[in-house]
Amino acid sequence: MGVAQPVNFEALEAQARTLLAVFIAAGYEAVAPDIIQPAGVFLDVVGEALRGRTYVFTDLNGEELCLRPDLTVPTCRLYLQRHPAADREAFYSYNGPAFRFQPAGAGASHPREFRQSGIEAFGDKDAGEADARTLVLILRALQQAGLGNWKLRIGDVGLFDALLGMAEMPDRWRRRLRHQFWRPEVFRAELKRLSTEPARSTAALPAALIEALDPDDVAGAEVLVSEHLEKAGIELIGVRSAAEIAEGLLAIAADAKAPPLKPEAAALIDAYVATRTPALDAAGVVRKLAGKTSDGLGQAIDAYERRCKLLVESGVDMSKVDFSAEFGRNVGYYTGFVFEVLVDALGPSSPVAGGGRYDGLLKAVGAPHDVPAVGGAVHTERLLTVVRGGKK
Amino acid sequence: MSARLTFAVPSKGRLMEQTADFLAESGLKLKKVGHDRGYRGEIEGLDGIDVAFISASEIVSALNSGRAHIGVTGEDLIRENIVDADTRVTLLKPLGFGRADVVVAVPSCWIDVNAVADLEAAAVAFRREHGRPFRVATKYINLARRFLSGKGIADYRIVESLGATEGTPAAGTADLIVDITTTGATLAANGLRVLDDGVILRSQANLVASKVAQWDADTKKARDDLFARLGLSA
Repeated sequence: MGVAQPVNFEALEAQARTLLAVFIAAGYEAVAPDIIQPAGVFLDVVGEALRGRTYVFTDLNGEELCLRPDLTVPTCRLYLQRHPAADREAFYSYNGPAFRFQPAGAGASHPREFRQSGIEAFGDKDAGEADARTLVLILRALQQAGLGNWKLRIGDVGLFDALLGMAEMPDRWRRRLRHQFWRPEVFRAELKRLSTEPARSTAALPAALIEALDPDDVAGAEVLVSEHLEKAGIELIGVRSAAEIAEGLLAIAADAKAPPLKPEAAALIDAYVATRTPALDAAGVVRKLAGKTSDGLGQAIDAYERRCKLLVESGVDMSKVDFSAEFGRNVGYYTGFVFEVLVDALGPSSPVAGGGRYDGLLKAVGAPHDVPAVGGAVHTERLLTVVRGGKK
Repeated sequence: MSARLTFAVPSKGRLMEQTADFLAESGLKLKKVGHDRGYRGEIEGLDGIDVAFISASEIVSALNSGRAHIGVTGEDLIRENIVDADTRVTLLKPLGFGRADVVVAVPSCWIDVNAVADLEAAAVAFRREHGRPFRVATKYINLARRFLSGKGIADYRIVESLGATEGTPAAGTADLIVDITTTGATLAANGLRVLDDGVILRSQANLVASKVAQWDADTKKARDDLFARLGLSA
C-alpha cells in the first residue's frame, strides 16, 4: 500500500538509517530475520486470534507459512539458530517489513504492509536495567528521527502476577486468571464467576465417579477414570491421558465444593486492574490498595520502583509517563514491563512505538529453558506521518 | 445490449438434483445449453437468465464477486468463505435440503469436557502438560475461529484438514475437531462426541442473492420474473 510510493520510500529509507544508526551505536547488531516464517510458531505462541490478522498460506510442499506479523518472534528464532543453547547475551536491531491483515480495511494508520524498526535484547542478567535501557534507546531513536512531543504509557505484568499470587484462592483459579489476563472480557467474566458461583455444572458428569474421586489421591483418580471409561465402553483416544482427564474431573469436583472467591480478593483484583495513575505514583497507589497484605508484593513493587528510578536517571521526563495496570493485556507473551509511545496526532490506538519484556517466549519458540528477553519496535510509517506534521 | 442475470446452480450430485426438484415444484425446468456435458444452461420460459452450472463452493465466490446474481449453495460455505457475509449477499430462502450441522466435537473419553466453556480450563492444564495449545482440525477455519473466540476460548490452534477430519484425534494429529455432521454416526464411529452447546451452525442449501452483482433494470426484471414464479417477494 502506501509504502510503495516512491516519495515515502525515500523518506522511510532515510528515517530507517537514522533509527538503525542509534541502535547500532548502542551495540545492537543489525540483523535481517526471514520475512517468510513457519506459521505454527506464531499460532502456538500468540494463539489462533493471530490467524485473523496474519497472511497465512500453504506452500507447494504443504508447509504452513506466514508473512511475519512482527519482528520479535523472527528475531527470537534467529537468536536460537545462532545460539541453540540460548546461553549467551545478544543484542539485535532490525528494520524491515511486517504484514497484517486489516479486517476493517487497510488505511494510513493501519496499513497491511508496514516497516518495523526495533531492538531485542536476550539473556540479560539485570531485568530492570535492561528494561530501562530498551525504552531509553527507543526514545533516543525517536528523538533522532525528529519526534519532539510524545506521551508514554507503561504497565507491568509482573505486578499483576504478584498481586494474584497474594490473593487468597486455590492455585488452579490463579492459573486460570493468569491465563486469561490478556483477554479483559473473559477475565472479568471468570472473576465474577469465581466470586459468585465457582461451581461448574456437574449435571453432565458421571455422579458415582465424581463421588468416588479423592482430591488427595491423583493416581487413584486416574485408575477410577480408566475403569469408568472401560465399563462405559468408551475408548481412550487422543493425546490427552486418563491422568489429565482425572485432573480435570478433580478440579470440577473441587470447584463444586469450594466457597466463592472472597469479596475482598475480587475487589482487590478489580481495583488493581482499574488503576491508572502517573507512573511515579503507581507504586504508592498499589501499596495502598494491597493494604497490610502488601508485603507479598514487595519484590514486584521494588522492581517497578527501581525501573522508574533508572528511567529518571537516564533523563526520561517522567511527567509524560502514565501507568496503566490494564496495559500489556493485548499480547499474551509479555511477562513484565510493557510500554507504548503515544502522540496526540494519532491517538491512543495507533502508538508510534511499543515493546516490553517477554521472558517466556524463547522457550515457547524452542529454547531449552526460559531466557530473559526485552525489546521494542517503532512503527515507522506512523513516525514519518507525525514527524512530517500529518494527522492521518 | 441487454444485461442478463446469472443464476449459479450446483454442477453435480445430490445438490444439483435437489435444486432441479426445487425449481420443478414451481414448474421451472433447468436445461443445458449446447453440449450435454457443458456448464451453461437456461430456465425454460424465462428469458434474460443464464444458468451457470458450477461447484457449490465456487458459487460462493461467484456471488461474493458479483459474477453471479443469484445462486444455490450451503449456508456453511457462505459463512465460512465470505468475511462479513451479510454485507455481500442476502440469504433469500432456506431450501430444506443439503442439511448439515457444523459442530465442535471432542473425544468421548474427555468426560470432564461437556460444554464449550470447559475447553478453557482443559486448555490451561493441557498447555502445562504438553507445552502447546489444543489443535482443532477443520476445514471451517473462519467459522471455528469466530465461534470459539465468541465463547471466550483463545488458547487453541487450528489445523486445516480437507478430508477424514473425524480421524485426526485418534491419529493424534489434532485434539478436537470442527466439522459437519448429519446423523452423528461418523463422529461416534471415530470415538467423538458433540459438545452440549457445540452446534455452530445448522446449515442447509439456500437461495442466495449477491448484493454486489450489477443490478440494472434488465437483471432486476429477470430477478422479479424468477421470484414471481418461485412465489418470493423481491
